[in-house]
Amino acid sequence: MVDWRLFDPLFEYARKRSMWIVSFCTGCGGIEMPPLATSRYDFERFGVMPNPSPRMADLFLITGYVTPKTLKRIIITYEMQPDPKYVLAHGSCPLNGGIYWDGYNAIKHLDKYIPVDVAIAGCMPRPEAVMDGIQKMMELIETGEADGWKRYKENYEWYRKNQDELFGEGWREKTARRWIPWLMDKKKEVKEE
Amino acid sequence: MMETALKALFILLYATFVGFMFMGIIRIVTARIHRRVGPPIYQPILDTIKLLSKKSNITHGVIYDFGVLYALGATILAIMFIPLGNIGVLRAYGDLILITFLLEIPMLGIMFAAMSSGNPYAGIGAQRALLTMLAIQVPLGFAIVALAEFYGTFSTYEIVMAQQVSGWSIAHLPLLLAAIAYDLVLQAMFGKEPFDIMIAPGEISLGPMVEFGGKHMGILQIQHAIALFAETLFFSNIFLGGAVVTTFASPVLNTIASLAILLVKQIAVLLVATFMGAIFPRFTIDQAAKFYWKWPTIIAALGAILASL
Ligand code: SF4
Repeated sequence: MVDWRLFDPLFEYARKRSMWIVSFCTGCGGIEMPPLATSRYDFERFGVMPNPSPRMADLFLITGYVTPKTLKRIIITYEMQPDPKYVLAHGSCPLNGGIYWDGYNAIKHLDKYIPVDVAIAGCMPRPEAVMDGIQKMMELIETGEADGWKRYKENYEWYRKNQDELFGEGWREKTARRWIPWLMDKKKEVKEE
Repeated sequence: MMETALKALFILLYATFVGFMFMGIIRIVTARIHRRVGPPIYQPILDTIKLLSKKSNITHGVIYDFGVLYALGATILAIMFIPLGNIGVLRAYGDLILITFLLEIPMLGIMFAAMSSGNPYAGIGAQRALLTMLAIQVPLGFAIVALAEFYGTFSTYEIVMAQQVSGWSIAHLPLLLAAIAYDLVLQAMFGKEPFDIMIAPGEISLGPMVEFGGKHMGILQIQHAIALFAETLFFSNIFLGGAVVTTFASPVLNTIASLAILLVKQIAVLLVATFMGAIFPRFTIDQAAKFYWKWPTIIAALGAILASL
């Protein structure tokens, strides 16, 4: 067999230069995406491409505040992505609640539920700041420090505990059955075999 | 035997490489039309390497895996039949029809795989792709009939040879009409606007592609590159005169010259498709079907009638 570790620098370079993003435009930050993608800031120069399907995504952008309802979708979407995957949290809201710090229905620390690799502060961050975040992400990928997906696997118990504390046991199956029934049914078939 | 294998390998490598460059060119040209800088030309290669190096892979069963390979295999088979300058591996009487058919069945493979994933978006996408395929059959058939009628043969190689004597196909009126119809069909085969109904990124999340990720998508990227190369090559062979250079003494120089001429013609075909894609919005599926059954069909049928007179 070929020793694929030999090609790791090449793979890391390709991963760094070709990040396909799924953006979860929950909050105000979604409005920063159009200037980033079009001629003013043009992130396609770095190979970043908006992509609607979580199966092909590398970079998961969470652009704004997170409520329990969206958090369920975020977790399921995150788990649908193939490894390696990176998360970029956008704005103060996912960081510490931002202006919703005392809100009854906003998630204060996204970090407790899924691993965040790079967080951009600001309310809302200008496109320059987002570009800066993407640059930082590229650096981290190249040095191998963007290991959120590894952390998620290693500390799955902890993340799971936090998620279950918020939503109650069995939320994952319930939400997933509603949102991705074709996957859930298949899993059941496998179990029955 | 050995020589044929080497030729096949060369065609495969050349087609893959040039196909990736074509994908890069499409992205750069589209970006420039949008007044953006655009990615580097080797971006699709990086994308493919990244997709192939994904650490986890999701599969939905045997058909899901098989469909992807089926698509790649059909495309490779098609590229072996199309004469590339004076290199050709497979040659058969009637390969005009065979190639037309082979250029379409990769879509079927992708549809098998997409449907077996069970995703509703993939289902809608496959449905739309089938309808588009149905819509393009009519003008495509007439264009091919016009070509065969005019040259009196179903062999691609003989058509290329005949064009060396009598000038490019599009210099004759009936075939010019056929070429226009075929070019409109090509737009749907490339999956570019206004006929990118089946993948429609913002609308049905890439349609059939939505469940592919990791290595499956990597293989589909390679397939897409080869298919781009094959479709442009086929068009430049049957309508734009192909290229069979015999002026130099050494065969190697002849081959390089023919490849260069073909490359220029292929890029011309590609750019026309890219420009059309960049300036038009998307049709809905019924509009596309109506369009194909009206204008390109009339043009191609007229071509076929004129050719047989
Ligand atoms: S950080 Fe500010 S701009 Fe971003 S979602 Fe929160 S309130 Fe909106």
